Amino acid sequence: MGVTILHQFPVENRTGPAVIELLTKRIAALGAVQHGQFLVDCETYSSVPQLGHQRTVHVLHNSEQPATVFSLLETGTKTIPLATDGLFDLLMMKMSSFYTSKKQTKAESKGPRFEIGDFCVKLGTVTVSSNFKGILVEVEYRPCIVPQMCWELMKEFLQGFLGSSVLSNPPVYFQNKMNDVYTPIDTIHQYLEHFTIFRKSPAGIRT
Amino acid sequence: MGAPGTAMDSLSAALKCNIIPNQEYLLQGSVLDQYVEVLLHRLRGLCDNVDSGPESFQDHELCFTLRAANPSPTSIALPLRVRRALDVADAPWQLRYVGQQELGDKSRPTVVRSSIDMACTSTIVEFLTELGCRVDFEYTARGYMFRKGRMKITVSKIFKVGGMPNKPEGLEPISQSYLVELSVLAPSGQDAIAEDMRIFAEQLRPLVQLEKIDYKRLGN
Repeated sequence: MGVTILHQFPVENRTGPAVIELLTKRIAALGAVQHGQFLVDCETYSSVPQLGHQRTVHVLHNSEQPATVFSLLETGTKTIPLATDGLFDLLMMKMSSFYTSKKQTKAESKGPRFEIGDFCVKLGTVTVSSNFKGILVEVEYRPCIVPQMCWELMKEFLQGFLGSSVLSNPPVYFQNKMNDVYTPIDTIHQYLEHFTIFRKSPAGIRT
Repeated sequence: MGAPGTAMDSLSAALKCNIIPNQEYLLQGSVLDQYVEVLLHRLRGLCDNVDSGPESFQDHELCFTLRAANPSPTSIALPLRVRRALDVADAPWQLRYVGQQELGDKSRPTVVRSSIDMACTSTIVEFLTELGCRVDFEYTARGYMFRKGRMKITVSKIFKVGGMPNKPEGLEPISQSYLVELSVLAPSGQDAIAEDMRIFAEQLRPLVQLEKIDYKRLGN
């Protein structure tokens, strides 16, 4: 587990599969080899009015950590992360009279997973409630766990195959976290931030 | 290589195949402080971990309930328990849901209750509090754990948390006896294990009488 950066790749006027094909060609030309597929999904639950002020629980799964369920509880003033075993999903079903899911908001990012030297690259097609929303590229630099120490290297790698869509500054999520130790929950936070924006955007128009 | 299925798909499949250990078979009893050594000695002889001896533990348990802000008689409450080891610093915390217990009729040897048990991060207390759960009570348990096949036997002393400040360690025992529990976590329908438990409990008599405890009768 190393530092992971999630980058939204502009779709412009192309279709999702066309963008994935383009990026697959580029990354393969660099020598990357495909190692299976990946999937990150997110289900959002809201508290019922009887429970007092509104709270939201986001439950996420990442195929990279298949035995873990990640939850982020938003209270309005703060966000509390929680990692548990897989049975947490069963517990959420028990809570169905207190927290209900909005089915139309089920978000996921899935696609091919590549390995290239110390990097792991995932090309994700994002759908919200089965509607195509955009492309998220996940790049992980596995030997390092402190963002500050590998950002420049990662930026160079990202720009190498994603071009000028990669900004020269670290993503907003990394502000004040550049010297912290990176953990899997940070990847989950980044996915949730992107999913939240995708959910608000009209179908397929986030470019 | 196939695409990974969603976590919910694999959970549904696991539920369908009935491989999730979500039922707890339970017998409980107690033994007075002065006789606990005799019971431990007996368990050392009967249980699997003969060579290594029993595993000691010291756990802190918080019992939460999730219920509506203005509970009506019909509203349901969800009990949740959080346990952490005080003697193993880096062990994960445990989150547990324990359902209503079924006593069943006389032919059923043990109490059966549904249980969802999982390891979690230490953020769980803040998570549950902000989720809307309230702490009902808490305690610490200190004792020994034995194993016999799939069965787990714990002999533990229960202490009030915070207790009396002028006491050494600040721990006040709630009684002059030890709690003895015999339990198995298994997928539903494996009732044969209950019979094994009855036979094992038989072997501990008359030192300790392990029984199906009816909390409803104890409560009032």
